[in-house]
Amino acid sequence: MSDTAHPIEHHRDDEGTRLGFWLFLYTELFLFAALFLVYAVYRSAHLEDFKLAAENLNTTIGTINTIILLTSSLTMVLSLDALKKGSVKLAKTLLLVTFALGMAFLVIKGFEWSAKFDHHLFLQTAKGIAAGEGSPLFTPGEEMLPVGQVLFFGLYFIMTGTHALHIIIGATWMLIVFFWMSKGSINQDNHGVLERCGLYWHLVDVIWIFLFPLYYLIA
Amino acid sequence: MNTHEQSLSPRTPIMVFGALIFLTLATVLLSGLDVGNTGALIIAMSVASIKAALVLYFFMHLNHEPLIFKLFLGVAFFTLLAIFVLTFSDYSFRVI
Repeated sequence: MSDTAHPIEHHRDDEGTRLGFWLFLYTELFLFAALFLVYAVYRSAHLEDFKLAAENLNTTIGTINTIILLTSSLTMVLSLDALKKGSVKLAKTLLLVTFALGMAFLVIKGFEWSAKFDHHLFLQTAKGIAAGEGSPLFTPGEEMLPVGQVLFFGLYFIMTGTHALHIIIGATWMLIVFFWMSKGSINQDNHGVLERCGLYWHLVDVIWIFLFPLYYLIA
Repeated sequence: MNTHEQSLSPRTPIMVFGALIFLTLATVLLSGLDVGNTGALIIAMSVASIKAALVLYFFMHLNHEPLIFKLFLGVAFFTLLAIFVLTFSDYSFRVI
């Protein structure tokens, strides 16, 4: 191969980049699929315990968080559409709204977790955990949670925690995209980064769409 | 080269969003029904799958992507399906 004297052409393959990003998204999907598989196996083995433990989760809070995430997906779509139309200002505003909704989701999740901690429900690998007084699971004389419920809460914290980590990554990415949009390096013609950030955000939404019924609804 | 000829009107996203909210409220209400464990699981997972399909198809713009994107999704879906079916073909018949 000879050194080329031609000026470097900045060839951009948007479609190929998107396809590659979808491949990455499938690896994320399989990360969660492994957790869903563990959930499915243990749920089938400890059905009654899972149902009892799930009664500790607040369906209203779960529903509110679902609606928040769905709304953030909408504003993300509208932000990308606005950028494609050339209205950078609107795109930036909508991106900030998406970011704020992501933060709202995290704050609510934080309150939910701390309520669980108050009831002495933690992520524990031990065979049983002590259910403290005030916990609906507290039964005098029997201080240990059944193994099935320990598994339920272990999976609850691991799965919602992994999901929350993805929310944090997505939200951080949004701030970076926002910065680049302010600088003008992401614009109407070059919107691939915002598009991929959006794809990532929607995937996080899709995963929550499955987490929500499995933890909050089928108690 | 670029197959993106999508309309940028906010109408479709907002309608899809409306459907997603409707399905969310529907699945919460349906979870109150007494249809047994399997029934509840089937209802909840069916509604979730419809919601996920809406997000994938409209919000993630699979509707405007070439065939190869859909083939990738199909491969991922059937791999997942195989993993779940094979795992349960083992666990369902175990004596724990």
